[in-house]
Amino acid sequence: MEKRPEVDPVEAKAEIFAYARRRGALAVGVADLDAIERIAPRGHRPTDLMPRVRSVVSIGVGGQTQGTWKVPAKAMAYFGSTETRAYSCSYALAFFIESRFQAPSVYCPPDLDNEEGPRVPLQSLKLHAELAGIGARSLAGDILLHPEFGYMYFASVFTELELPADEPLAENPCPAPSCVDMYRKQGRTPCMKFCPVQCLSGKIDDAGRQAEMHYDMAACAEMSEQYEAVPAVLAEAMAAGDETGRHDALFDPDHKMLWYKMSVGSGGLLAQCFECMRVCPVATRAELADPIRRARAQAGTGTGTGQ
Amino acid sequence: MTQRLTRAQLGVTDAMIAAFGETVFALSNNHQIRRGDPVRAKDFAAIEAHRHELGMGDAEIADRIGLTPAQVTLIRNLEERRRFRTGHYHMLNALGGGKRYRAERFVPFQDQFRFGEEALRLRAAFSFDPERVRSHVEQGWWRSDTLSGWLRRNARERPDGTALVDKRGTVSFSGLAARVAAIAAGLHHHGAVRPGDVVAVQLPNGREHVEILLAASALGAVTTTLYMTYRGAELEAQLHHSKARMLVAPDRIGDFSPARWLSTHRSELPSLAAVVIVGAEVPGTIPFERLAAGAPALPRDRREPTAADPFLLLYTSGTTSSPKGVPLNYHQMLTNARVGIEEHDIRAGDVVLSAAPFGHLYALYSVEMALGGGAAIALLPAFSPPALAEAVERLRPTHLFAGPAHLAACLGAGLVERMDLASLRLVVLSGAAVPPDLVHAFAPHLPNGRICQLWGMTELQAGLYTRTGDDVDVAARSAGRPSPGTQVRIADESGRALPPGEEGELQARGPSVFTGYFENPEATAGAFTPDGWFRSGDVARMDTGGNVTLTGRLKDVVNRGGVKYNPQEVELLIESLPAVHQCAIAPVPDESLGERACCYVVPRPGAVVTLDEICAFLLARGLAKFKLPERLEVLNELPLTATRKVIKARLRPSPTRLGPQPATPRQGREQTRDRSIQ
Ligand code: SF4
Ligand code: SF4
Repeated sequence: MEKRPEVDPVEAKAEIFAYARRRGALAVGVADLDAIERIAPRGHRPTDLMPRVRSVVSIGVGGQTQGTWKVPAKAMAYFGSTETRAYSCSYALAFFIESRFQAPSVYCPPDLDNEEGPRVPLQSLKLHAELAGIGARSLAGDILLHPEFGYMYFASVFTELELPADEPLAENPCPAPSCVDMYRKQGRTPCMKFCPVQCLSGKIDDAGRQAEMHYDMAACAEMSEQYEAVPAVLAEAMAAGDETGRHDALFDPDHKMLWYKMSVGSGGLLAQCFECMRVCPVATRAELADPIRRARAQAGTGTGTGQ
Repeated sequence: MTQRLTRAQLGVTDAMIAAFGETVFALSNNHQIRRGDPVRAKDFAAIEAHRHELGMGDAEIADRIGLTPAQVTLIRNLEERRRFRTGHYHMLNALGGGKRYRAERFVPFQDQFRFGEEALRLRAAFSFDPERVRSHVEQGWWRSDTLSGWLRRNARERPDGTALVDKRGTVSFSGLAARVAAIAAGLHHHGAVRPGDVVAVQLPNGREHVEILLAASALGAVTTTLYMTYRGAELEAQLHHSKARMLVAPDRIGDFSPARWLSTHRSELPSLAAVVIVGAEVPGTIPFERLAAGAPALPRDRREPTAADPFLLLYTSGTTSSPKGVPLNYHQMLTNARVGIEEHDIRAGDVVLSAAPFGHLYALYSVEMALGGGAAIALLPAFSPPALAEAVERLRPTHLFAGPAHLAACLGAGLVERMDLASLRLVVLSGAAVPPDLVHAFAPHLPNGRICQLWGMTELQAGLYTRTGDDVDVAARSAGRPSPGTQVRIADESGRALPPGEEGELQARGPSVFTGYFENPEATAGAFTPDGWFRSGDVARMDTGGNVTLTGRLKDVVNRGGVKYNPQEVELLIESLPAVHQCAIAPVPDESLGERACCYVVPRPGAVVTLDEICAFLLARGLAKFKLPERLEVLNELPLTATRKVIKARLRPSPTRLGPQPATPRQGREQTRDRSIQ
């Protein structure tokens, strides 16, 4: 790689943000690397992946269309998986930073840690995004929400380019005022009430802020992460007492869907169930969560476009 | 194995897994608690203090509990596997698009609807030949008709058309549909009736009978009808054999209270979950009107009945000995009704009246055709000659379905001459042998109508009938030609089809023929020839025009005014009398009812037997009145085969036979004549 030219970090950051937005990012931010290093568990810090990393750029792309929130849950599990747009954007961004600033960069793998199994990510994209100021942890199992864009998908780029870090969001949009009202009356917020496996609970303090968030991730994983069902189904088939039992375990329609999803790599296998987000006023009704309103705003008639 | 190392190589033992599994799981991110908003606030001290709650990485857990990271990873994954339940994502199928999870409403997948064990047993009684099924579908006999579908269609196409008409007035199709929906919800809500469950109905031909039949159908339940004359033993036997989940009955049938009887017999009917009473309220039962009031509507995504679902379970003969329950699905019933609508010329706006009770297939056939044709069902709750005369004049039926005994009674009472029969386009006679003289005597009184003779059985629906264009002579001397789709043959004992003019057994097959009795394999085996024809047990001959005349019966049943029953149970009861050595019951011809039962008894030495004593004993044992023998013949011995079976064909009543006769047996029984065919 050529010798890196002198770069004004502020100007570089502005160029990087502009590029990311052109590639479809709604929100872009730079996370405080030191903070990530302190908070992320050992083995999952940026330096564990890229020892000379100097900056973590986090981007967020839009979630579902308004129509998607209205479809039945089993269809939503497919439509909802739009994270690939975030990955292609950050992938392009890594190339852009390298070619424009000659700084080695990496599209941070969104994958699971192949040494630790399917419930542990290599890196926490959520932590990057939160510290980059493009989302705040919600009572819905720490899903990040943005006050303007609602529910987004996140991706990160690690780079050796030094960039000034952003601050986390000053205010957490969760809980929304209507959620606080509901909590006061029923002791639950919408996400808690309508989660099909009841894996969410928590408390809101007198000021209407999050006091406690409880998330039973194991139950959520059982609900929506069907890749864990694959070995379980195979084990059931092996343990079946007779040939009919084995055939039923392998070939019944539910299980054939698992094989289908595995073989074609279809979405839905790794999806969340989205019921908590479907009922979340921030996810679905934040100012620019609606792609139609967002398009109007971006056409110049309205509100800003994030950082 | 983790990192290509086995448990043993990693130093993980079963004891370690047992000891650390829970802890590792709890410390990992499988369960997360966050207090406040420490990450956004970059409150590192708070994060450190609560790291164990936020969810720790494997290396951190390993540090805390003194294992290696690889050991923690293995133990955590094993624990996750141990706890993991598959199939949870089925919840997605029932959620979203306006449906929300609510703990109190959510039915876990494993608890969602499935046919109960009893419903599956009933469904198993249908053993269709796959070849015939394919042919019935391909030839268009079997379509997707259901009763609730027919009702919906009428409510949509002619909402204000008359669906029911009785003394109280009329009910429109939209009104009937709304009421049926409400009652179906009530059956489900108050009576816990589920698709496939059996609802037993012992009701007269009133609105409630039609409503409950349609509501059970809308729910996907199965109706079994009980004759109004049934009491203790028969009621119990049919409720038991059909495994009825609900009984719908009036508060009183004469001096009999079904609810009171049930209060002492409920423990013998484990399937019976609810009793619905029409009329005065009875403690411990559900008033019929409550069914229709205020139950939450059925869920919109419930399973709609399909044409292959069973919808009737009708009993054809003796219920205490070898009960013959005929399960019928919509395909079988409604195919026959659909073609009958055309053949009997039933049109939208017509009025169809049945003098026969809805407990019989014949009457239900008329109800189905009325509904299928968009005609009104006229209701005559209980037959008597004056009641029928009044119904014809007041309700103006276009079609009358009656038994020969009904018309004979009206003719006998001198009512026919005075009746205005101008509304009738067709009078159908069935249920018992039709005397030709009766047809000839009645036909001239129909200024605008014809008479049709019909032969049917519960096992095959309407099998033969004369057509509206046939000469009255044809209807007088024959039951006509097969209904569309039905094939009949006259066969000898070896199953060989006989040429026209020869007598043999009338056999049938086709899309409306049943496939077997419910849980009675012996009876089923005897009901079909090896090549799949149903053996009617009736003796008949066919003329060269294809018209079939019935001449007698092979089967040992008594046909009293269209009510057929096997007398074996009565014989057994009578033989339990100390004075009786042997008993056999056989029919004797009767002008008005077709047949009556004659009881042939061999008394024990020195004993005296009277008909009054026998009848009193049978009534005390809960036998229906219509099964009481009406003549007694005392014999020294019964004609027996070598295997000591009674040869009933040799039993003949004789006025000269010796033996004590009751003083007034005939008068006493005559009083029940009309009620027995109500
Ligand atoms: S994704 Fe589904 S299971 Fe998981 S927390 Fe949200 S609602 Fe609950
Ligand atoms: S519904 Fe949304 S805004 Fe409301 S508490 Fe849950 S996550 Fe927060």
